[in-house]
Amino acid sequence: MARTDHVSILRIHNLYKTFDRVVAVNRINLEIKEGEFFTLLGSSGCGKTTTLRMVGGLEKPDGGAIYLADRCLVSDTQKLFVKPEKRDMGMVFQSYALWPHMTVFENVSYPLKLRGIRGAQAEKKVAEVLTLVGLSGLEERQAPALSGGQQQRVALARALVFSPKVLLLDEPLSNLDAQLREEMRRELKALQQRVHVTVIFVTHDQIEALSLSDRIAIMKFGQLEQVGTPEEVYFHPATPFVRDFLGKTFLLPGKIATISEQEVEVQVQGIGASALTLQRSHVISPSNGFPSVGQTAMVAIRPEKIALSNDGSDTRGNIVEGTLQAVQFLGDRYEYTVTLGEETRVIVSPEAQQLRPGGKVFLQLKAEGMTLWPREP
Amino acid sequence: MAKTETLSPTTVSRSWLPRLDGGTGLMAALIGVMGFIVLYPLVLILINSFNTATIAEPPVYGLKSWRDAFSEYGIWRSLWNSVKIGIVLQVIALPMGIFVSWLLARTNILFANVFEFGFWISFFLPGLATTFGWMLMLDPSTGLINSWLRQVPLLGGLNFDIYSFAGIIWVHLVSNGLSTKVMLLTPAFRRMDASMEEASRMSGASAFTTLWRITVPAMTPVIVVVFLLSVIRIFSSFEIELLLGVPWSFYVYSTKIVDLARQEPPLVNQAAALGSIILLFLAAFIPLQRKLITRRQFTTVTGQFRPRVIDLGAWRYPATAFVALVIFVLDVVPLLSVVGGSFMTRFGFFNLPKTWTLEYWKMALNDPRILQGLHNTLIVAVSAGLVGAVLFSLIGYVLVRTKLPGRAVLDSICWLPSAIPGVLSGLGLLWMFLGTPVFRPFYGTLFLLVIAQMLGGVTLSTQILKANFIQLGKELEESSRMSGAGFWRTYLRIVFPLMAQTMVLVGVIKFMFAAQHNSAIILLATSETRTLSLLALDQVAAGYREVASITIIMVTLLTLGLAIVARSFGLKVGIRAE
Repeated sequence: MARTDHVSILRIHNLYKTFDRVVAVNRINLEIKEGEFFTLLGSSGCGKTTTLRMVGGLEKPDGGAIYLADRCLVSDTQKLFVKPEKRDMGMVFQSYALWPHMTVFENVSYPLKLRGIRGAQAEKKVAEVLTLVGLSGLEERQAPALSGGQQQRVALARALVFSPKVLLLDEPLSNLDAQLREEMRRELKALQQRVHVTVIFVTHDQIEALSLSDRIAIMKFGQLEQVGTPEEVYFHPATPFVRDFLGKTFLLPGKIATISEQEVEVQVQGIGASALTLQRSHVISPSNGFPSVGQTAMVAIRPEKIALSNDGSDTRGNIVEGTLQAVQFLGDRYEYTVTLGEETRVIVSPEAQQLRPGGKVFLQLKAEGMTLWPREP
Repeated sequence: MAKTETLSPTTVSRSWLPRLDGGTGLMAALIGVMGFIVLYPLVLILINSFNTATIAEPPVYGLKSWRDAFSEYGIWRSLWNSVKIGIVLQVIALPMGIFVSWLLARTNILFANVFEFGFWISFFLPGLATTFGWMLMLDPSTGLINSWLRQVPLLGGLNFDIYSFAGIIWVHLVSNGLSTKVMLLTPAFRRMDASMEEASRMSGASAFTTLWRITVPAMTPVIVVVFLLSVIRIFSSFEIELLLGVPWSFYVYSTKIVDLARQEPPLVNQAAALGSIILLFLAAFIPLQRKLITRRQFTTVTGQFRPRVIDLGAWRYPATAFVALVIFVLDVVPLLSVVGGSFMTRFGFFNLPKTWTLEYWKMALNDPRILQGLHNTLIVAVSAGLVGAVLFSLIGYVLVRTKLPGRAVLDSICWLPSAIPGVLSGLGLLWMFLGTPVFRPFYGTLFLLVIAQMLGGVTLSTQILKANFIQLGKELEESSRMSGAGFWRTYLRIVFPLMAQTMVLVGVIKFMFAAQHNSAIILLATSETRTLSLLALDQVAAGYREVASITIIMVTLLTLGLAIVARSFGLKVGIRAE
């Protein structure tokens, strides 16, 4: 996005961590820019939370270094480790971790008290930050007496009250119900833009990652699979894992027929069309002689890049034939369950189509949505 | 502990006892039995505090006993001594227990599991063994530590006298004062959501500021419960004061009652008056305690487990050494000195021509009194264990799974014994059996001791069983019923096998309790029905230290030894809230 010209505020260098000989984070390198909303995305056990906790100082790395601007926070070569309380980072925990024996005001003013800010000045700051998160007036409530969404806001206020340079968010939305989660997601984004804090956000939810982030790092088995803007990682996944982790895809196995300067033609069996034409730039990881004519390959396309039609006579390219399994009306949209090749996925369309379940359906695969992959073993 | 009341609306259909009147009959029987052995003796104590005639004679009512009891300075003194010990002990033990639990559960201290096991050992080590072990160390003239101190030139005058107020506090601390708290608090500390501490660290607080400002305050509900459990037992403590206080005429509540009841002529009515005061105290205290415990709430518990502990940094090794020293003082010192004492010609005299001997073991194993004691202990403890497991599992089942009227009453009766000092229920039972002509023939039999010891740990047993029935899930039984099995088939084929382990656990707890505690039976036993631990008390009082060591080793084997065996079979002999 537009922030690429900013200087990096946090640098992670060769970060490494094991738990009982299991490698949790395997030598990752990252640079996070000032004011950026940066997301670590992955399924559970991929090392994203461990990475976040090492940034916060709650976990000691077994190797590597982390720098906050010019300050070294932890380094194995310098034998340096800055304790979490000395890092000046705010953190929101998955369980919110509000202290049950304190009121909202006491919870939020605690970081101020530890920084020697008391009395009227503290009250002013707490009032400001509570207004920011939309909780003003609840200062005297006991923390356990709040609803889940309110507790979350208090946790956010507590993490922001001392104006930290970096805000760490560990799956903060996962304990909320679906509707509240959506609402908080929007507010979180708006809030971050207002206070210009650098955010490192950990989640396993791809919608949260795509909608909130300036950049996303997708992690798997302690390593970074891909780092990029939401659009980059979604439309131009660098690895099969990223492709399959983010959204759904149809995978069509085929054989490369011709290669030209601009395009690649792939023959795919059993979909009613002779060949699919892709742009050359949509070939993923061209190396080791890939692509070359005669090689087996996979064409991947997301369902939202497929248009439905009951008319096969359309002459535009890349029309294929699938089977319609079911139709569901969801009020604002229709969901068509379609089998293409050997895979069955849901294609969403706002309009009703004159289609019968069980019958043939013609699908137009939009060229800009197709990517070509080497055949996976 | 889920309250049974909250279950009641849905349990209507689950009262599977064959017939309603059968169920009511069962409830009446349970309340009758429990009322008879728990409540009736206490009522007798109250009544007879206004009686001036001795036990087996026709009653003469009057206020003389109360007047006599409270015109005597010693009675007030003994009450105050109990309170004083309680206060001083808690002031030391509670902060220390909190600190040690925190070290074990929340920091990266080394060998935390080993240490926790050490506190578990200390909890099951009979108080008699700890007390006697430390007597051998700190006797003013023959104590091992004191004779060592005499040889150190500059410390010439230093001498620790265990027969003192400080000595009593010390032994309380090393026997159960600390280990009970650590055993109860460590799991609670471990269950606390670690991110509450981490949030404090991220806010800018150091590890110790976090302990002081976040961890301890957030754990206050649990700490209060643990504190109340200790407070309510202030008047129950007995053996330590008997061995360490009575020799210099320092009496506490329970030793005073025994002293009054054993005088010639016995002043049982005064003892009853003294007992009644505490009943009034407990009547006010128990409802409060019960309310707090049943409503106890743990702070946010997260399901996810991560080895998240605080890095103590440079303090890691001093902290480990500190806890290791505590374990050494709690477990190793008493065990070594009791075992060593039994093999030494004279304990602590390492320069005798013949330092070590098997003489005392030979004597002991041929001593008819010790064999008689072992025999009595086994009969009493096995009976208490068997009857206890069956009776209390039935009570637990009725409380959790049925909607019979009277459950609240039964539940309340089961909460009482944890608060009643053993000496007091012993006194009540003595009255019941001597004062009621029908029961008089039972006096002097082991049956009396079985009844008294069955009450030990009633609350604990009932709570364990209740928790297990709740955990068991009604669906397992319901699916058996839906499969076509009747009430008894379901009970025998489903409930019983699933509960068997818990029932064994309850039986083991009762056995251990019966084998080591003296306060409930000291007024009921005769020289023929003396158990091993009572015999040990007499041997210590008579100065037969080497033989007493052997008796105490036997008691220890029957209790701690059994606990270790049970643990290795996977029985979690833990304690919940008693």
